[in-house]
Amino acid sequence: MDDKPPLKLLSPQEWESLIDDFQYGGARRQKWTAAYAILPSLVDQALASLLKRDFPLKLLLVLFLEEFSDSLFADSDSDSDSRRSFLHRLVDTLRSLLQSTAPDGFAVSFSFKEQFMVSVTSILISLETGLDRPGFVEELEALVESLLTVVNRPNHGFDRQIRAVACECLRELEKAFPCLLSDIAGHLWSLCQNERTHACQSYILLFTSVIHNIVVERVNVSILNISVPLAPFSVPQILLSKEGSSAGLNYKELRRAIAFLLEWPQVLTPSAMMEFLGMIMPMALALELQTSMLKVQFFGMIYSFDPVLCHVVLTMYSQFLDAFDGQEGEIARRLMLISRETQHSLVFRLLALHWLLGFGEMLLKKGDGGKMKSFVEMGLKFYPSVFDPLALKAMKLDMLAFCSVCPDVRNSNSESDKLVVKLFQDGLISVSAFKWLPADSTETAVAFRAFHKFLIGASSHSNADPSSTRTLMDSTIFHTLQGMLVDVMLECQRLVPVIVALIDRLLSCQKHRWLGERLLQTFDEHLLSKVKVDYKLVSCFPIFDRIAENDTIPPRRLLELLTKFMVFLVEKHGPDTGLKSWSQGSKVLGICRTLLMHHKSSRLFLRLSRLLAFACLYFPDLEVRDNARIYLRMLICNPGKKLRDMLNLGEQFLGISPSPASSIFSVQSPRSTHNVKKPSNLSSYVHLERLIPLLIKQSWSLSLSSLSIGNNKPGNLEDIRDPEPIVEEREIDGSSSDTIQIIPENERINKPREPLRVMDSKISEILGRLRRHFSCIPDFRHMVGLKVRISCSLRFESEPFNCIWEVGPPFGGLDVIDSLPAIYATVIKFSSSAPYGSIPSYRIPFLLGEPPASGNISGQGVSLDIVPIANGSREDKRFRASVTVELEPREPTPGLVDVFIETNAENGQVVCGQLNSVMVGIEDMFLKAIVPPDVQEDEVPGYYADLFNALWEACGTSCNTGREIFLLKGGKGVTAISGTRSVKLLEIAAPSLIQSMERNLAPFVVSVIGEPLVNLVKDGGIIRDVIWEDAASHDDDDKGDDANARDDFERGPLHLTYFDETTDRDSVVNITKRNMGCFLVLIFLPPRFHLLFQMEVSNFSTLVRIRTDHWPCLAYIDDYLEALFLA
Amino acid sequence: MPSGCSIRAIWILNNLDSLVFSRRFPVVEKRWRAVCERENEASAADDSLKYTVFHLLPSDSELVSAFVERKRGEGSTRGLGTRVSQSVKGSDSWVDDPITRHIIGLYINKDEDGDNNLLWPVILHMKGQFSVLVLPLVEPRHLKAYACLCKRSDCGNAVGVDDSLSSLLLDLPSITGAFTVAHAIGDIISGDGVEPEVVVSSAPSVGGLLDSLTGSIGISGISSRAKPVAAPVASASPSGAAVAGNATSDAPRIGARSLDKDALRTFITSAMPFGTPLDLNYSNIFSMKINGFSASDLPPSDLKQPAWKPYLHRGKQKVIFTIHEIIQAALYDRDEIPDSISISGQINCRAELEGLSDVSFPLTGLNKNQIEVLSFHPCAQVPEHGVDKHSLMFSPPLGNFVLMRYQATCRVGPPIQGFYQLSMVSEDKGAFLFKLRLMEGYKSPLTMEFCTVAMPFPRRRIISFDGTPSIGTVSTTEHSVEWKILTSGRGLSGKSIEATFPGTVQFVPWKIQRLPSNLASGSIADEDSDIETDGSNNIINIDECLMEKMNKDLLSVDLEEPFCWQAYNFAKVSFRIVGAPLSGLSIDPKSVSIYPTVKAPVEYSTQEPYGKLSFLVLMTISLPEVPFKVANVYTYRSIFSYQQVTSGDYILWNTLGPCPSAAVPKV
Repeated sequence: MDDKPPLKLLSPQEWESLIDDFQYGGARRQKWTAAYAILPSLVDQALASLLKRDFPLKLLLVLFLEEFSDSLFADSDSDSDSRRSFLHRLVDTLRSLLQSTAPDGFAVSFSFKEQFMVSVTSILISLETGLDRPGFVEELEALVESLLTVVNRPNHGFDRQIRAVACECLRELEKAFPCLLSDIAGHLWSLCQNERTHACQSYILLFTSVIHNIVVERVNVSILNISVPLAPFSVPQILLSKEGSSAGLNYKELRRAIAFLLEWPQVLTPSAMMEFLGMIMPMALALELQTSMLKVQFFGMIYSFDPVLCHVVLTMYSQFLDAFDGQEGEIARRLMLISRETQHSLVFRLLALHWLLGFGEMLLKKGDGGKMKSFVEMGLKFYPSVFDPLALKAMKLDMLAFCSVCPDVRNSNSESDKLVVKLFQDGLISVSAFKWLPADSTETAVAFRAFHKFLIGASSHSNADPSSTRTLMDSTIFHTLQGMLVDVMLECQRLVPVIVALIDRLLSCQKHRWLGERLLQTFDEHLLSKVKVDYKLVSCFPIFDRIAENDTIPPRRLLELLTKFMVFLVEKHGPDTGLKSWSQGSKVLGICRTLLMHHKSSRLFLRLSRLLAFACLYFPDLEVRDNARIYLRMLICNPGKKLRDMLNLGEQFLGISPSPASSIFSVQSPRSTHNVKKPSNLSSYVHLERLIPLLIKQSWSLSLSSLSIGNNKPGNLEDIRDPEPIVEEREIDGSSSDTIQIIPENERINKPREPLRVMDSKISEILGRLRRHFSCIPDFRHMVGLKVRISCSLRFESEPFNCIWEVGPPFGGLDVIDSLPAIYATVIKFSSSAPYGSIPSYRIPFLLGEPPASGNISGQGVSLDIVPIANGSREDKRFRASVTVELEPREPTPGLVDVFIETNAENGQVVCGQLNSVMVGIEDMFLKAIVPPDVQEDEVPGYYADLFNALWEACGTSCNTGREIFLLKGGKGVTAISGTRSVKLLEIAAPSLIQSMERNLAPFVVSVIGEPLVNLVKDGGIIRDVIWEDAASHDDDDKGDDANARDDFERGPLHLTYFDETTDRDSVVNITKRNMGCFLVLIFLPPRFHLLFQMEVSNFSTLVRIRTDHWPCLAYIDDYLEALFLA
Repeated sequence: MPSGCSIRAIWILNNLDSLVFSRRFPVVEKRWRAVCERENEASAADDSLKYTVFHLLPSDSELVSAFVERKRGEGSTRGLGTRVSQSVKGSDSWVDDPITRHIIGLYINKDEDGDNNLLWPVILHMKGQFSVLVLPLVEPRHLKAYACLCKRSDCGNAVGVDDSLSSLLLDLPSITGAFTVAHAIGDIISGDGVEPEVVVSSAPSVGGLLDSLTGSIGISGISSRAKPVAAPVASASPSGAAVAGNATSDAPRIGARSLDKDALRTFITSAMPFGTPLDLNYSNIFSMKINGFSASDLPPSDLKQPAWKPYLHRGKQKVIFTIHEIIQAALYDRDEIPDSISISGQINCRAELEGLSDVSFPLTGLNKNQIEVLSFHPCAQVPEHGVDKHSLMFSPPLGNFVLMRYQATCRVGPPIQGFYQLSMVSEDKGAFLFKLRLMEGYKSPLTMEFCTVAMPFPRRRIISFDGTPSIGTVSTTEHSVEWKILTSGRGLSGKSIEATFPGTVQFVPWKIQRLPSNLASGSIADEDSDIETDGSNNIINIDECLMEKMNKDLLSVDLEEPFCWQAYNFAKVSFRIVGAPLSGLSIDPKSVSIYPTVKAPVEYSTQEPYGKLSFLVLMTISLPEVPFKVANVYTYRSIFSYQQVTSGDYILWNTLGPCPSAAVPKV
């Protein structure tokens, strides 16, 4: 504080701004206190200025000191010295001021003296922190003494007002230090008796406070005693010693004093009367006065139009219930009349009604049912009149509502029920304009306030309230109100939002929620059937929305109405209603959305899906159709809880958007950026798995990848295409320009004819078959190639997913499914380095996470009955989505397909990443050969058999067909066959071979030869529609009957000689001891290759002769066969 | 805390929301802090009441920002009053009570401290361009109770069963006291009666009763020993004073009158030196300040001089009574709605009697069926059981005062009967017809001095007008047609007349003229973009169609208005009848007795110079367009003495249109 300069000398203007700044507070005050050492200097200057003769702002300055001394000194609590000296100087100044009676020219004006007295007293009181503060008592005594000097001149002429003010100062001191003046009470009494000017009010009040404090503090002093002199004044011992000397009151004297005081109430102003009675009432209680005396004396004040006096009477009533017993009716009537006095300002009329309500509540709480009768009887008097201000009308409606809850009315019969309805209806007439005024009119607000009051009636919000909802629900008033609201909505749809606000208000109230629900139910029952289906219906939508939100209301009626409305919209649609159809259709969908969010899907399903389907099909507006489709999809695909969460999420972001459907999709974009950053090894908990596992696992992919990397793809193709490289090139060229195109075409047409050579009928038959076959094979370069489909399933584990994506367990659904995470709008993309063409991505709208393993659940202490459900549901289809990988191989090789996933978590996060690759094996490439469309179904086995034979021949070493080229489908591409042969011996018993065959290669078998084998296989029924051949009947027509043939087979070597036509068969027979027969297997390898097996089955081993026109595949086939049969 | 009234602080703001005056009472504040400390200690111990009360008084800047903040939240200075859709929890309108437009809560430093620092109850009294805020002392528990009320999460109070605002208000006389303080301050700052000189200057030169008044008043301003100041009698401004002026109530008017702060400080020092009001009669206070007392002002020898009568009259003695009635009527001319006619009257008195005399007189004609409310000046001594004997005794204060107020029904039929019909023949053209009977059944001493009928069209501009009345003259302004049936100077007495007035009026075509409304603007806004009434709806009647159209842009009125005036077509009748009160109440001058007995001189009415007593029944209605204040000033000059020209609502509702009505209790 020392470092700051003392306050500079202020001019009056500066004083003024200082005072302003102090009052303004905040920074403006800081300006002064920060710059100067306020405390000693400011006070010094102020006191000095006050004593100056011509200082213009004295009054202001005194007031400033009064208002701010407290905070000035509060800043430096320790500085008690300066405080003391300040007080000392103040009191001193006051004393000298009061003594300066000299009316010389400038004369201290009376009003300044008065204000100074008041201010000094006020400062002293507000600075006081305890009488024990050193030096304080002295100042107090000095002040009291000066004031007493002023007071002690009763009936003195010109200074009567200043004496009155001095009395007030003393009274204030007495209030602050109770019993300060108790020792001189006798003097004060006599002063009080003597004073006859208008100042007597202050004397009376002063004396009253003194004896009030005596009574309250129970101090034993004689108030008749005037032995203690007025001056010098000293603070009584009881105050200083702080010991309650409650020796008992001197009742007699005190009663006399009160009797004296009660003689003079008529000299008091109304405000003083309030103060006076405020002190008298506790005394009367303490001294056990006859309170009926007070009633006689003061009850008449209730007839005054001064509101203060009326309130005093009310206060007296509540304090002296016994004395005023029986006056309730009169008081209530009087208050009612005050409210009707148009001369009063509005606020007092309102206050009177509030008092009356409070008064009634007081009686109700006391359980004085009988006294409430007067209220009910007065009911009619509370009818608002036309010219009552709306505020008053509102209060009068409150009064009517109060009358309706009075026990008299409540406990009774239908008659009083009718009375309530009558009160309500009559009362409402005064604001019935709400029906035609705008919805935001004040009349509407008042009317709906009354609706609310009458609705909830006597059901309080306290938990202890016994009033049952049943009685309220059955009451006539409730029914009337319901009907009224329905009518209002039918008549003036403008008011729907207001009604919705009322409903919302009830719904948000814990205690009255049921009321709101009940109202909505009523609307559902009565409104929906009555509304007219036209364009105006949309104004009722807010209420429909509330109905839709409420799951206590079956959605049947609403959906029916909405369907009707949709039909209406569709029917009315015309060129000029485009926008309207869109807007209203969207709003209907908005309600559908609300329904989806708040109801169980099963409850809605039938009607809602019908509505949505109708909209999808017929609604004229595209957006509405689209949205309807999306909703329909959601309704069908997604389980309820998820659906709700999903829709709800949209709401948070797009609360304003009227177009409801886009929500899910819009959510992603703002969030995707920062979420992508998250590192995720998705593959550890999101799995894309093959449905049929591959026979060969790891080694495959290795051998393949090296192969495909090593071979340049086009080169590879070129190799395979060797037979007609020129044609290929030309064709490629040809596609670039029209002119050239013609030429190669001619050439190409010529070319097949070019190699003219001699062919026997067998070869030409073979060629014919092959041509026919190849003409069915699409040329992938010009059209959609042959597809290979690999079925997989996608699943993900809930727990790791939740942890990583912070989806958090959704809000405590009891259903296990509800607590599982889900992913939405999943896109799975594939890519591969293998020649598989472009692989289309796959989309999954919705997928639930797998429930955590059962062990976890029980470990977490969840009740055991969940476990079986969880176990069962793991296999549930809901947790797996089937994914088909569609390859369009350029070359039949195994390979790896890389998988990328992009999906959305429930909280809108975008989840993307790579999953484990899908392995493609050679067996995935196995297709059945294409059957030309002109082949009848029953001819198919025959066709296959012929084709097999033809290909077998063509791939043989005797390369009769080697130079032939075959046109592919579409006529643009050609191919040739260059066959390769191979052999594989499988050391496996026949039954297990047959089993494996049946399991894995059954579709490809074209023919089974040999009776023993046929017998074995045919019964299995798995290999069907093939050519069954006896070896005898086919190959050896001259060999007798079946039995022989069989014997021959068993005797293998014997037959050798018969099979010499085909060297291959000879060798087989030679090797195999017991030949049972043979499978012919034709496998088509996309895009245009073949794999042929001739499997000669013996009891303990099988020889597989392999021919193919795609030699690289032999590498895999070897492994494949081993895995297939030997594993 | 005793059931008295103490004021913690007073603030006055102007219409630009800047603070023009503030006053704090540190003694009261000290009491408040002491109680708060006790309370907060107690509540710290008791877990259920965690709420601690705000024990500091805000600085001016804090208060103003809190006030502005509330105004912003509540839409207007007064506030919403009822819980509507834009109400928020914690605000006054959440309490859902119209009185929260008068008793407000302010959150100090809401930005920093949230909803903790609630200042309540702040009495808001708006007078002229000023808002007077008065903060009375209450107990912390009251404050807490209110805080609970305005933060409750349920749907609102149920009458009679929950802890309500009503029982709080019943418990708090200090609020009532604070209102009287606020009204007194409002009267001072608005200049209504603070300046006794005005009465003096306007007083001269009119004969009769007025001369006798100037005799005593005239001295007051000039001589050093002026006593009585004419108290403003017409304190009662009946409802609907500012007809149709509703929308502008909060609109700022620039050019604010500067505040007479010194007068205010003087008043406060005397009226409530320590914040506890003692005497709010400002005319007494100011005459004491101006005149002081001299040694010759002797107190009465045996009695105590009442505090409300600081001076005693000396000189000529007289008593003047004036009965002033205002008739309000809503005439419908329909079978289903009964007409409603009511009279609010008051007896004004001026008693210049030496010493402390009591006056008593019997009230005759006090028929219980007709007069239902009686309330009295505090100086009247009303026996415990009310006024049964119809005799009234009072010891009069100085100057003019209202001795008694009453509400009554009309003893005879309404002075003007008939109907008004307005029908729109097209959207912009209306045909109307008046058929009125004046003074039907009124006998001779009753004279109708003038009678004017005004048809206000506040929302439409008149282009042309056509029609001739059977009697009287017609003039039009932009927004109204005025028909003067009787002009002053040609009174109607002892007979009744019939007046008819057919005509047409042409308006400027109707345009949507939505003003930027300050509240509720966006609430139900563009919702109806696609429900707009296309021509195909089934309104056939052009009146209804137009009404529908016009009603769309109606601004909602304040809760202080009885209804939305602009929504209706009506004609407003203004007239004055002198001769006798319509309620039938009368004072027989012969039976007025004064104790101690003096010979009180007689006074005169304007009609009968030097007669016995005067009955002046004044009934006028100011035009809706003219603000009440202006009308008051005009009439103040011409009928200067009594300031009795007040306006009542005497309305003829358009028989062919909608009209507001209220149910009449049938016992």
